[in-house]
Amino acid sequence: MLNGFQVAFQPINLLYCFIGVFIGTLVGVLPGLGPAAAIALLLPSTFALSPVASIIMLAGIYYGAMYGGSTTSILVNIPGEAASVVTCLDGHAMARQGRAGPALGIAAFGSFIAGTLSILILTFLAPLLVKIALSFGPPEYFSLMVLGTTLVTYFTQGSMVKALMMALVGVLLGSVGVDSISGRYRFTFGIQTLMDGLGLVPVIMGLFGISEVLLNLENLARQRRVYAAPSGGLLPNREDWRRSAIPIARGSLLGFFLGILPGAGAIIASLASYATEKRVSKHPERFGRGAIEGVAGPEAANNAAAGGAFIPLLTLGIPANPVMAILLGALMIHGLQPGPLLMQRAPDLFWGTIASMYIGNAMLLVLNLPLIGIWTRLLRVPYALLFPFILLFCLIGAYSVGNNVGDGIVMWVFGVLGYLLKKFDYEAAPLILAMVIGPMMEEALRQSLILSRGEFTIFFSRPISAGFILSAALLLILPFVTRRSEASQTHER
Amino acid sequence: MPKDLTSGIFWLAIAIFVTIEGFTKLKLGTLHQPGPGFFPFWGGLLLGTFSLMLLARSLKFHDWIAASAISWPALSLVLAALLGYLLFLETLGFLIVTLLFLLALFCFAELGWVKHVALSVIATSVVYALFKFWLKVQLPLGLFGI
Repeated sequence: MLNGFQVAFQPINLLYCFIGVFIGTLVGVLPGLGPAAAIALLLPSTFALSPVASIIMLAGIYYGAMYGGSTTSILVNIPGEAASVVTCLDGHAMARQGRAGPALGIAAFGSFIAGTLSILILTFLAPLLVKIALSFGPPEYFSLMVLGTTLVTYFTQGSMVKALMMALVGVLLGSVGVDSISGRYRFTFGIQTLMDGLGLVPVIMGLFGISEVLLNLENLARQRRVYAAPSGGLLPNREDWRRSAIPIARGSLLGFFLGILPGAGAIIASLASYATEKRVSKHPERFGRGAIEGVAGPEAANNAAAGGAFIPLLTLGIPANPVMAILLGALMIHGLQPGPLLMQRAPDLFWGTIASMYIGNAMLLVLNLPLIGIWTRLLRVPYALLFPFILLFCLIGAYSVGNNVGDGIVMWVFGVLGYLLKKFDYEAAPLILAMVIGPMMEEALRQSLILSRGEFTIFFSRPISAGFILSAALLLILPFVTRRSEASQTHER
Repeated sequence: MPKDLTSGIFWLAIAIFVTIEGFTKLKLGTLHQPGPGFFPFWGGLLLGTFSLMLLARSLKFHDWIAASAISWPALSLVLAALLGYLLFLETLGFLIVTLLFLLALFCFAELGWVKHVALSVIATSVVYALFKFWLKVQLPLGLFGI
């Protein structure tokens, strides 16, 4: 761990940590551009950097965005980032009461405390999990990935059937290209670009970047009113701290453990924290009217979830959300094999990244409070001026991956697809996760079957694997069972 | 047309296609040695099953919500601009294509004629400098060698 700090403190890594968290905050502040698209966009520019610096920067963008998102939520009542939706409720109410400063302040401090706490837990939990994971074989991996995908669909806000469909589509999309075991082309239709498979960067930029812009086109005319934060009053007073301390602690723990679960993550964490705070509060009617607990808890939760999300990636090599999927891609591009061996094979990267997260959180605290003025000014730029740049960067980004217009076309297609998916109420997250995990799952499945000589029972005869599969099955059956019992209850009345 | 019905049919069609592809063109292999068609076949089958479930649910509950309105002019312009950019990037070169792109899209910003053009030119130059000199990205030269 100390070695990790040594790595993180190297000037070049410090620089990229700063760049990462700065861009992250920027992305978080601007509505309509999320960390997933931004990280995908910057991925090609990390090719020239060392793996450590790349991951440090990209990770910084992720948790930085959690900080930035609260600024727009509080000041403009528009979430800058999906995970900051809840902050709009009480945060904006506080702004309307002239208390934007303390709201922003507690959001920043809460995020810092939660972020640091989650990294602390990560520091101790990660090696433990790695040890367990080292005893995993292909069947355990397959079952775990099945469970992970099921969790993702379980946590979707919409229909679970649709989410499962998205996951399946993702798996099928992941099989486009060369089949690693037989060497045959699948679903390429003779198109050159498809023969290498669907690139992660163009797909993410299309699905999350372009589609978001297309959706926002419908609301171009909307004018935004920004509430100026009073210059001196950024620090929450004693009363605020008294009220916020426990929510921050609760939010941190809740957020961290929800962040570990694939598919749960920051959004669910912040929602859960808000609901929890409201339920345990002695004055629940204050919520929605400017209760600072409604800002402190969720903001802590979403930052803690960001920290927790790194666990499955760093210890098991399994992404918990689309951002982690891109980081997975980044690791592979730099020639590193994610998984439990990552800690052994690349300790510099492993511990260096974790150490940089402490530093990054500190940087963010410093960045967010004084620079609020700049962020506010940025928000005043009309979207109509911003979106051409966003699209332009996406175009250049997609092209620059392989100097190939074909990748740009892939991005275009997925942009349209992403737009249609959102219009028809499908979630993109299961699709992306499945697309990345799909090939891994397939390989694990085939290796398992070869190991067991065609016996499917291998997944059940090994205890850990059986446990995962049963959990997955439970998650799939649960919604149907509860719905039926609800229906029968209303019938009896 | 109702949302779930439309999308259900779409995914069902895809599922059928994938399943057939998996079965015919690519070998399923045996359980001992699954072939390339194995995953697509079963994946397609599951997708088809879920699509049917979706269709059934849509028909049963008469939940016929239509998708929200699409503003076609804006959408078409942006999509055309994006596509045009990609198709002409290597023939006309980065500078020209970017300039045209920004000129087209800044229409939404409702600036005066002068500001519109000026901003497009300045923005193109800045982005060019940013990508060429700082990030060192390879940008296509195109028609006039620029």
